[in-house]
Amino acid sequence: MMVSWPHWIIVAIIVPMAGAVLTPIISRRNDKAAPIWALFIMSLTSLAALFLIMRVAQQGPFSYLVGGWARPYGIELHFDEFSASIGIICLIGWLALLFSYHYVAESIPKPRIPYYYTLVLLNLTGMIGFVMTGDLFNLYVFMEILSLSAYALVAVSGERVAEMAAFKYLVMGAVSSLIILFSIGLLYAVTGSLNMADISTRLAGVENRLPVMLALAGTAMALMVKAAIFPLHIWLPDAHAIAPSPISAILSGLVVKTGVFGLLRVYQIFYGAGTYELAGLNTTLIWLGAISIVMGAFFAIFQEDIKMMLAYSTISNVGYIVMGLGLASQYGMIGATVHIFNHALIKATLFLGAGALMYKTGYRTLTDLRGVGKAMPLTSMAMSIGAISIVGIPPTAGFLCKWYIALGAFQAGQPAFGFALVFGALFIFIYYIRMVNSFYFQPPTHPEILEVGEAPVSMLFPVLLLAALCLVMGILGRIPLSFIEPAVTRMLGG
Amino acid sequence: MKKALVAALLILAAIPLLLAVSELPPHGSANNATYTHVSAYYLEHGAEEAGAENIITDVILNYRGFDTNGEVTVIFTALAAVLAVLLLGDASTAAEDKPSHSVSVVVSFIVRLLAPFIAMFGVYVIINGHVSPGGGFQGGTVLGALAIVLTLVLGEDEARRLLPERPKPWLQAAAPLTFIAIGLAGLTDTGFYLGFPTAEALSWIRTMWLLAIEIGIGVGGAAIIASIFWTMEAER
Amino acid sequence: MIEALWVNLDYAASVVLFLIGLYAVIAKDNLIKKFMGLNIMETAIFAFIVALGVVDGGDAPIMGEGARAPFTNPIPQALILTGIVVAVSTTALALSLIIRIYKQCGTIEADELREME
Repeated sequence: MMVSWPHWIIVAIIVPMAGAVLTPIISRRNDKAAPIWALFIMSLTSLAALFLIMRVAQQGPFSYLVGGWARPYGIELHFDEFSASIGIICLIGWLALLFSYHYVAESIPKPRIPYYYTLVLLNLTGMIGFVMTGDLFNLYVFMEILSLSAYALVAVSGERVAEMAAFKYLVMGAVSSLIILFSIGLLYAVTGSLNMADISTRLAGVENRLPVMLALAGTAMALMVKAAIFPLHIWLPDAHAIAPSPISAILSGLVVKTGVFGLLRVYQIFYGAGTYELAGLNTTLIWLGAISIVMGAFFAIFQEDIKMMLAYSTISNVGYIVMGLGLASQYGMIGATVHIFNHALIKATLFLGAGALMYKTGYRTLTDLRGVGKAMPLTSMAMSIGAISIVGIPPTAGFLCKWYIALGAFQAGQPAFGFALVFGALFIFIYYIRMVNSFYFQPPTHPEILEVGEAPVSMLFPVLLLAALCLVMGILGRIPLSFIEPAVTRMLGG
Repeated sequence: MKKALVAALLILAAIPLLLAVSELPPHGSANNATYTHVSAYYLEHGAEEAGAENIITDVILNYRGFDTNGEVTVIFTALAAVLAVLLLGDASTAAEDKPSHSVSVVVSFIVRLLAPFIAMFGVYVIINGHVSPGGGFQGGTVLGALAIVLTLVLGEDEARRLLPERPKPWLQAAAPLTFIAIGLAGLTDTGFYLGFPTAEALSWIRTMWLLAIEIGIGVGGAAIIASIFWTMEAER
Repeated sequence: MIEALWVNLDYAASVVLFLIGLYAVIAKDNLIKKFMGLNIMETAIFAFIVALGVVDGGDAPIMGEGARAPFTNPIPQALILTGIVVAVSTTALALSLIIRIYKQCGTIEADELREME
């Protein structure tokens, strides 16, 4: 069978989808098989992702027409530089699956385990489809796959609080999905098309602007719910803190970013149309981003529970990304898109590290975990690297993109927000210092904590690899920046 | 107090929404963009190109088949989600004897009498979806509802025999698997995932493929609906 | 504006229905009622999108003998079939969560659950 390059797009969706559907069948005979099968499937998917990224780096964006129907009659899958986030999805997904191998066996009821892996694979399928599709309704379908599996994964541990957090997440998520569907309906009503590129061209000629503006406002608001921007964030802390740690890593690193990614697609459509005034949306995004940075960091300072702290820090970091988008300047956009990638790395390091600590010690508050730095030196070191990265101290991964967003603020002529960013970083610095302090410099609350050793390799390896990547991406940070630059230039240039 | 506030806010929110929908192209006019752009193409070419006289079936399974592929994955996700949320650690709690509820003789008799006809109707809806209103989802729901009704009347153990243990996971996964199989067949045949053969003479193959997908969706949908119901019933 | 709204009465009705559902989601305390609110919202959106496909005097888009133009727009109907399946899936998951919450806490009133925390 001849496989031309664009076919890897469909491979990258179909392989995890088929893998997920087959997981319950595979694990019926042997319940140990599910994690290995899931890892195998993700390895294949990563291979496809690798080919896709190489291709887009060499030759720029390309499309795949499902069923061979020409645009706009069929569904178009479109792979551009932004879609290259499929790489980080595969990486974090793979490592979280590996981490789950021992972690999940102890923390969730046994009959649920095959379905846990099914749902993780489905979740990754949804995200992979989400970043590659070029059709609005298809985007909605993939969004539902990923949201539905995310709601269930929050509740999978079976604790009472987890189920209530999942329900809260479900209601807010479902309402925002409906608002997005409503907006898709409005856009369809005025353009008669569902293909993003086609909508973009046809929007330029629409006379009645009010429905379009309503669709824009609705989508932006709904996506901000998904991205947990400050006043709409209330579902996030509970859901992210209570979910099993590998799931927290996926949720915080990847699922929240789909909201931001959706905003990026909305920008692409409206910049492409050319004749729309986006200043209102931009200002809203900048302000809400700035408020999220400060408020997220502020709440994080008061958290005792380590995962709760990380969850609030996610709100703060998504604030950076959204602010960078809203600045709508070259540097701001580049910084924001790369921060999507870097924050995923950093937050996965921290959540998986926290999971390893909880797995070995059984404690989850900073007070209880005092002195763990001596007992689990490698994990604690990895988490310290993550902490330094998230504050944005050079030469770690967090530095360059935050620097770019700050430059973007100056470029857009709004230096005040550049200072808000620095201010937020200061807050973040405080609470991560608290974490490092309690790991290394405080006498242990529970002396027996000094006896525990490192977590098994399946958990240690992902944490260490991610921490190493945080450092490497800090040094090689220019590569993703220059990779994404042509896409941003193309988008802003119309 | 809270309720009045919410109501007031929503009434306020209604104003821009109503303004916006009043500016939409007039309802029902044949000159709307919705009608003249993509759908005009479907209505004109659908019946010859896509394999079914029912254009909606063409859109669902052929033109926008990938959406439906995602959609059957959504319903499979729902099954996995329900199982992941409801299954418990030890099987013993599920086995504890519940009070057997008695069913009235009349209801029981009528359900037993109607069951074969409902089943037949479900199958009819599934396999006739490409020429008349209906299709895999609709028929699958009818069959799933039949399984639910039978559970209520015959009791759980009896009804569960409808879905034997061995093929159960395959049947639950039937819809996405059929889709992927047809998609890959299209890939080898036309070079596009879910590409249906295009030649004029091969229209019967197109129709056969549509039928295969309809049956897959019907069987899978029914199995999933029944399984979700039984899982909830066991945890009641 | 009123005249335009009269022409687009179907859309306006779905907007109102949508807001009624949203009211139930926000203001009701019972989790099942909250979720019924969500179902009302779903129905509103489905009605809105299906209404987009209406053509005056349109027939069902099924070709074959005796079929005559104009036909209604097939796309919204196809989209909404997908939408309904998504809604069913969400409902199944939400009800499972409610079952579990009820089993563990003995209540499904949001205010009582909040007190328990």
